[in-house]
Amino acid sequence: MSKRLKTNDYSEHSNGTDDEILLELREVYKSFGTNEVLHGVDLTVRKGQHVVIFGPSGSGKSTMLRSINLLEEPDCGSIKILGTEYGPGLKNEPQEKRGKPLELRRYVGMVFQQFNLFPHLTALHNIALPLRATRKLSLKDSEERAAAELESVGLLPWAGSFPSQLSGGQQQRVAIARALSLDPKIMLFDEPTSALDPELVGEVLAVMRKLAQTGMTMVVVTHEMNFAREIGDLNVFMEDGNVVATGNRDFFDNCPNERAQRFIGSVL
Amino acid sequence: MNTAGVNFNWGLIWENRAILLKGLGTAIVVSITALVLSLAIGLVLALARMSSKRIISLLATTYVNIFRGIPALVSVIWVYFGWSLLFGYNFTVFEAGVIALTLLYSAFFCEIYRAALVAVPKGQREAGLALGITRLRIFRSVIIPQATKIAIPNIGSMYIGMVKDTSTFAVIGLVEVVRVTQNLNSVNFQPFVLYTAAAVLYVVLAFIVDYIFRAIEKNLSSPPSGSLAKVLSKRQNERIMALIGKSSK
Repeated sequence: MSKRLKTNDYSEHSNGTDDEILLELREVYKSFGTNEVLHGVDLTVRKGQHVVIFGPSGSGKSTMLRSINLLEEPDCGSIKILGTEYGPGLKNEPQEKRGKPLELRRYVGMVFQQFNLFPHLTALHNIALPLRATRKLSLKDSEERAAAELESVGLLPWAGSFPSQLSGGQQQRVAIARALSLDPKIMLFDEPTSALDPELVGEVLAVMRKLAQTGMTMVVVTHEMNFAREIGDLNVFMEDGNVVATGNRDFFDNCPNERAQRFIGSVL
Repeated sequence: MNTAGVNFNWGLIWENRAILLKGLGTAIVVSITALVLSLAIGLVLALARMSSKRIISLLATTYVNIFRGIPALVSVIWVYFGWSLLFGYNFTVFEAGVIALTLLYSAFFCEIYRAALVAVPKGQREAGLALGITRLRIFRSVIIPQATKIAIPNIGSMYIGMVKDTSTFAVIGLVEVVRVTQNLNSVNFQPFVLYTAAAVLYVVLAFIVDYIFRAIEKNLSSPPSGSLAKVLSKRQNERIMALIGKSSK
């Protein structure tokens, strides 16, 4: 568990060539009021793949990411994870038997832009509480597991600190450790470095890079284009609620889509 | 002492200290019982008011607006004599006092809790959901502790109000501070001295309540501070230090 972030086996896992499909979004629609923000997006994520989603503000990136674990319930569309259907289902198609959001979220970890640590708990208990609540671990076991997770992000000495006593970078690392402690099959990152001071971005990206090297399946919404270029096996450019262009590792150098090319040029 | 031909017998207070303090004790027991009940009912009302079901929210809102507006004196007479007349059920004076206070203050606590629950950032619930924690557990372990911290100063002020409102229960014969004062005065005819004593008792209690609630508030801050926190988080801190130490060896 705590060894998870210590592997250096990058080459074997980073290509996402493993055929097993972990996550499949099909024709996902979402409106807020009368404003449709997702116009039927598709996304297929294979085991070990590192997906980078980018695009201008308001393009629906975060909404798409948040619909994966149903924090945003789509109006319609299929969300299939490990072969089980969780979403509201496709238009005009017979409804399959679907899993509960609670089950889905036990396979899917998420890291937020604003960290969302629990401010009334220590770093250690931010991790121990979900372990107790979802895995029914004893207090002692949950604390030991939490300590191991903190150690793997280099924060064990801060185990007794409260979020308000930690820097933004440290808080985000605790948040990542918290999500990883539940052994997710796939990790979602919603602009994980956007709320950080520039000098703190590096430490969070370092943790994410190590996680990527271990073969964790990741879906990352980010504006960090250099990081995206580095880890992205599947790069998804979104605009106005549509997936406009996708590509593999050479996407940033040989971008087939003119609009995406201009966006990359403007942020790189 | 002699002012304008009136004798003030301050010694009376000391002579009757036991019975005055017993009256204060009664006021405290009634108000604390009502506090516990009002907090529980107030929380339920707050959730009802925030319910997406309009009828439930409307019922809670109506309750709050009615009982927030009734004076304690009216409430206790209504409970004590009204129920007896209407339903033939006689509450003891203690029960009537507790019920009267609970009816009023659960309405206030509803509003305090509602404001506090709204003030907990939305991301807290989302983080809990994303971690696969059930809604009930998120509410209990994530939302309520944070809302309580926000609500505590207001709960403290309200509790001082509850203690003061017990003074009106003298009318139904609850032997609290004012009733004791009235009884002593009817024998000694020293209203100024005796009511001064009553006032001092309420004020001293208000200071003590303020101190206690501030200690609780400090303990709920992140990180907890104050001596209460030191005692309460001692074992947790020891466990954390042990875990940190274990790995560095």
